[in-house]
Amino acid sequence: MIDLEAARYLWHPIAASSDLVPRHVFHAQILGRELALWRADDDNVNAWENRCLHRGVRLSIGINDGTELLCQYHGWRYANRTAGCTYIPAHPADAPARTICNNTYPAMEQYGLVWSGESPEGPLPVLSTVDTSFFTPLRAVTVNATSQDLLLPLIQGYTTRLPASDDNRPRYGADTPDAFTIILRVADRSQTGSTPVADIAFFLQPVDAGRTTIRGILCGIDEHNTDAQTLNDLLRFHNRLLCTIRDRLESTLADAPSPAPWIPIIAAVSENQASLPAMSDTGNSTPLRIRVASIDSLSPTVRHFRFEPLDDLPESQLPTAQPGAHIDVQLPNGLVRQYSLINGPGETDHYAIAVKREAASRGGSQALHEQLRVGDLLASSVPRNNFTLRRDAEHTHLIAGGIGLTPLLAMARALHHMGRPYTLHHFAAQDTELLFQSELQAMSGEYLCHVGLTPSQTAATMAELLATPDAHQHLYLCGPAPMLQCARDTAAACQWPEHTVHFEYFSNPEARDDSSAFEVDLARSGLSLNVPAGQSLLSVLRENGVTLPSSCEQGACGTCRVTVLDGTPDHQDVYLSESEKARGDCLMSCVSRARSQKLTLDL
Amino acid sequence: MSTPCSDPVALGLWHPLAAIEDIPPSSDQHTRLLGQALRYRKDAGNQVAVFDGDRPLPVTQAYGYVWTCLGTPARPLFDLPEYAEPDRRNVCAATVGVRVSAPRAVENFLDMGHFPFVHTGILGVEPHTEVREYQVELNEDKDEILATECIFYQPQAAAGASGGIMADYIYRVPHPYCSVLYKSCPTDESRLDVIALFLQPVDEETVRAHALVSVIDTQSSDLDIRLFQQTIFSQDKPILENQLPKRLPLDPRAETPIRADKVAIVYRRWLRAKGLQYGVIPAAA
Amino acid sequence: MITLYDYELSGNCYKIRLLLSMLGIRHEKHAIEFYPAAEHRKEAFLAINPLGELPVLQDGELTLRDSQAILVYLASEYDTSGNWYPLQDPRTLATVTQWLCFANAITASAGGARLADGFFHPLDADACRSEAHRLFRVLDEHLWFQERERQDWVATTASPSIADIACFPYIMLSEEGGISRIDYPAIRRWTDRVKRIPGFIPMPGVFPAGPGL
Repeated sequence: MIDLEAARYLWHPIAASSDLVPRHVFHAQILGRELALWRADDDNVNAWENRCLHRGVRLSIGINDGTELLCQYHGWRYANRTAGCTYIPAHPADAPARTICNNTYPAMEQYGLVWSGESPEGPLPVLSTVDTSFFTPLRAVTVNATSQDLLLPLIQGYTTRLPASDDNRPRYGADTPDAFTIILRVADRSQTGSTPVADIAFFLQPVDAGRTTIRGILCGIDEHNTDAQTLNDLLRFHNRLLCTIRDRLESTLADAPSPAPWIPIIAAVSENQASLPAMSDTGNSTPLRIRVASIDSLSPTVRHFRFEPLDDLPESQLPTAQPGAHIDVQLPNGLVRQYSLINGPGETDHYAIAVKREAASRGGSQALHEQLRVGDLLASSVPRNNFTLRRDAEHTHLIAGGIGLTPLLAMARALHHMGRPYTLHHFAAQDTELLFQSELQAMSGEYLCHVGLTPSQTAATMAELLATPDAHQHLYLCGPAPMLQCARDTAAACQWPEHTVHFEYFSNPEARDDSSAFEVDLARSGLSLNVPAGQSLLSVLRENGVTLPSSCEQGACGTCRVTVLDGTPDHQDVYLSESEKARGDCLMSCVSRARSQKLTLDL
Repeated sequence: MSTPCSDPVALGLWHPLAAIEDIPPSSDQHTRLLGQALRYRKDAGNQVAVFDGDRPLPVTQAYGYVWTCLGTPARPLFDLPEYAEPDRRNVCAATVGVRVSAPRAVENFLDMGHFPFVHTGILGVEPHTEVREYQVELNEDKDEILATECIFYQPQAAAGASGGIMADYIYRVPHPYCSVLYKSCPTDESRLDVIALFLQPVDEETVRAHALVSVIDTQSSDLDIRLFQQTIFSQDKPILENQLPKRLPLDPRAETPIRADKVAIVYRRWLRAKGLQYGVIPAAA
Repeated sequence: MITLYDYELSGNCYKIRLLLSMLGIRHEKHAIEFYPAAEHRKEAFLAINPLGELPVLQDGELTLRDSQAILVYLASEYDTSGNWYPLQDPRTLATVTQWLCFANAITASAGGARLADGFFHPLDADACRSEAHRLFRVLDEHLWFQERERQDWVATTASPSIADIACFPYIMLSEEGGISRIDYPAIRRWTDRVKRIPGFIPMPGVFPAGPGL
């Protein structure tokens, strides 16, 4: 019997690197556990549990679209690297909770093979006794036998001389450093004539009880200096030999009962993932540590910042973000500012933001532009998404003003990648504000720029764009407050249904009035609190130990939303739509207050 | 996979074996139920007898199918009153073998979210993927699950449909291995078409899926109706056969549900409360 | 007008639908219910094909049975490129024919296991499965070496041939007969390539591929 327990902590080869062709999902198995292996367009190799954690459907029948893996059953999309779910088509208005994440396994490439395992410890095996300057993987051969059954026949197949006098195969000496590895070294190089001879390393991949894959590599043959035909003959020779060994062993084992399959234990999903998420889930608020990887000028006033995790370990991966998401960045000067992520789908190895240096900077953009250097470390929030892109529209209109392009750029990249129709309008004061032009022009959606318009020209253009509302189309708006207001007013006047109009403000342009005082009852925690004039509801809650995620703290981003069970809110935010405000069933705790004497909150 | 069933809940249920009209008369037929080989035979009067070896088993003939029980029936077979309505076309649409447990197949039948991805261009189409909020209740008196107000965009909801509609669905689960779907009838707004799925658990991880269609449709032929259902069933098959594990896990932490899966959550809870063992992975105590 | 006597769940009929679609040939379909009604064994259909097998293709006066024969006919008659069935090149033509025969063996084994498990035909499913695995090993090995020589298809053709179409359906449907393809990675990659041939259409049980790179 092989030591199953010990085998769990080893690295095993589970595929050849050449098996993972672009846009393909390889179906692998190790110790009874199935894996879906796929190479993203950026060359990263993903090794995931071969089941969508929604309903257990094999991901190996899914679609590798280059940046995400789609489950065939419900179209859930999982991001390259993190395996975080980025989109659940059944609920297009929700940002999937970031905690929805498939089980992943480490994957490394070495010697032309892909290595993985259940919980491998230590470094990859190193072949120290053979020449590894070049390596050529043999065709893998799977045998219906245990690795133990296979070990000796494999060695004998290579070392036993045939009686025939024409057996001019090289003589090998065999060495088995562990139960899954066989090193065959050519004992006598003088006899082998013109055919190149090579040492061979065989790795026995324990696929399942009674199934083993032989993965061999020829060591030290420089393919570029070897005739292709000769190399192919060599590969065919070894393949034939391995198949013969396989066939003989299987026929001797034909009458043996087939062993019961190994049933791997599949980890339970977290409590968080097992329960039904709330309508909006703002996720946890643990800060992330990020490093400034690059700073580039996009225009005289806009810089592009690339943030990466502190190291390359899988556990330090950045949480998965969806289009429309922003992060709160803690700046060197102590300020916290919100920036939309502009990443395209599957770009999970970094966060990218584009920041305009504002003349009237309150210190945020100035600090980023002037103080930040490559290599600096920062704290950031996890991505929060209160500006979710629905992807079930028949057509999506993205309308950006100036640097308000940033969340819409991420959306356009996602829509383009999914092949969904969209139009992007970019309103800008001058040509230099038009960013990512060549990329946007090359993308599938219509891309139109409107430069240097006066407010009345903007209004006229907007009226033209929004003239024909359609319940199956959606609008996404982001830009300076006056432009945003103009677009919202125009959409309302053209009778776009309110649920089709989505917007995000940079900041809350309205003056806030915090002169009222009121009481709050917290239904779930049983607390009653007083909110005095001059203090926000959010800060009173925090002082009393009620933690609540928040971000912009000026009523623009939607992070600190709280459900209202009773009482009439005094809305002072620019996040909620008019009808949401009128419904009065939620409020933004950072700025909004009460018209009634008391509010009852679902906290 | 043919250890005999020892689950008293499954042994006490009525199970379908075959469409009565498909049974050749006066010749022994063989099938398997709960891991057990059975023999059945239709006489000239269309009466079917079922045997376990030489032991005659109880028989119910209902909804076009013959049903039997390996133990003592805990209760009569559930009601499907629409079947008796005189103007309905009742069609036994297909019996298909699928390598999956019966509860996984029931859950798939209750699921709307997969329509655009699995029944593309027929029961759903992208980008119309939203599963709206719907209602689910467990009717304690009838001991069955009812999901109502289910609405989904469908490009071609039935054999007789042309053009897309927002289809209204009602789902009933009156039996752990059977489900009945009521959907807006494309040819008569005031009526509901019925599609029922009756699963015969051949063993814990294999079923014969029997389909009954009961519709108000004066245009489509029986052949059209059968072929339509066969297409739908065969589209589900590769999904069901690729679910891991094949038995339905009842532990709430085995899989990740979303709001669209409300009815599945109630179904799993209901099976748990019944103490059903066959075809499921029971939750850890 | 071409008429195809067709059963949607039949892999052999699917071969013809695939090629008709890939060649863009207009046609109409006449549904024959293979299961459960077994219409293909009834008098009306036996008059068209006395063997009682699907598919049958009618093109004007010509009535043809046998899926491979129909593929040969459609490619020879309607494919202007000459690539699908390379009549001008005897050696390549022979390899195509060789794999057409192999496709019949796949139908008998992998297709047989599917008929036994899914449609309850009285066949020895275990024997069908072991024969299918033997064939899949041969094909996987062949396709692996084809890939090394930058050959994408089963025959030595530069573009897909009817041999690919003939082999594809019952390989793709093999899981319905309890035949996993996990041990045949080169076959799995080749099925992706077939799915990306322009004009590819799915059938129930076969999913389309995503876009290639």
